[in-house]
Amino acid sequence: MRSDVWLVIIGMAVATYLTRAPMFLALARRPLPPRVRLWLRLVPLAVLPALAVPLVLVRDGRLALGWTNPALWGAAVVFVLAAWRVNLLASVAIAVAVVALLRTLA
Amino acid sequence: MTPGLSAGARPPCAGTVREGITASLALVPSVFVYGTVFGGLAVQSGLTMAQVLGMSVLVFAGASQFVAVPMLATGAPAVAIIVTTYVVNMRHYLMAATLAPSFRGFRRAWLALIAHVINDESFAIAVARSRPPDAWIYLGSALAICGAFTGGVVVGVSVGGLVERPERYGLDFAFPAVFLALVAVQLRRRADWLVAVGAAVVAVALALVLPGNWHIVVTGLVVSAVAAWVLPLDDVDPRDARAA
Repeated sequence: MRSDVWLVIIGMAVATYLTRAPMFLALARRPLPPRVRLWLRLVPLAVLPALAVPLVLVRDGRLALGWTNPALWGAAVVFVLAAWRVNLLASVAIAVAVVALLRTLA
Repeated sequence: MTPGLSAGARPPCAGTVREGITASLALVPSVFVYGTVFGGLAVQSGLTMAQVLGMSVLVFAGASQFVAVPMLATGAPAVAIIVTTYVVNMRHYLMAATLAPSFRGFRRAWLALIAHVINDESFAIAVARSRPPDAWIYLGSALAICGAFTGGVVVGVSVGGLVERPERYGLDFAFPAVFLALVAVQLRRRADWLVAVGAAVVAVALALVLPGNWHIVVTGLVVSAVAAWVLPLDDVDPRDARAA
């Protein structure tokens, strides 16, 4: 593992505290402007697919859209299960098992 | 001597704190397991037990920690990881702003500490109970959620090191799987789908050209900002702040 892990952890801690403390310590009674609230609500909805989908579809800098990509099947399984309101961790566990199985068969 | 926590606010109420803890019990098992999975996978990815525990206590924001671990393992630049953490956690601004008025009269030193334990689950519980949320219910819930998450991580780092060759069991896929599950449960309106699918397409395109995982931050900020600018202001209920 790289040598700057603690530096990254401290940086993450400071960055995260900066998302929590300022508004909290300001004790503001006035709510945030509606467009800003909408934006803050939408950030996770944009960040999470931006994280997950390239992890599934991009392998070594190239698109892996073929049906032999186990992660693609795992992604479909976890997405459908979670959308059906199956428990989050159960959905993840089933998808992980599907990927493991497909890798074994491959 | 006034008891430490409140100076001028209504006195601390043990009963209300207990109510907050009780209200959180339904979530404690899943937060605990979430912590266990994180601890196990993080140790698997090559972090030491001290690093995993340190991150969990100092950052205490599960989704961003899940995000950071594969980035650390694949050698993403430190700045990219820290900026990504910030963006993933930007939703805290919304929660902090909603909670803040309930904490008028608390000493600033306590506020600085309480700010650190702002979390999705406790926010959801406090806001579901009353508007404005009750400070003591929130604190009770934060106590329960912190304990569950940290306890889960401790168990996870102890057990996680035992599994050899984690990719054989598809465990590396747990990271994108968690992110996808978190997206799926948030898709309620047509606009949510537009943002999520748009972000996925943009991120894949950028991932093919940008180095160092910068596609995550760029996509997250730009797609959400464009959407917030053009979408109608139908419903921006603060309960929607709970997310990852």
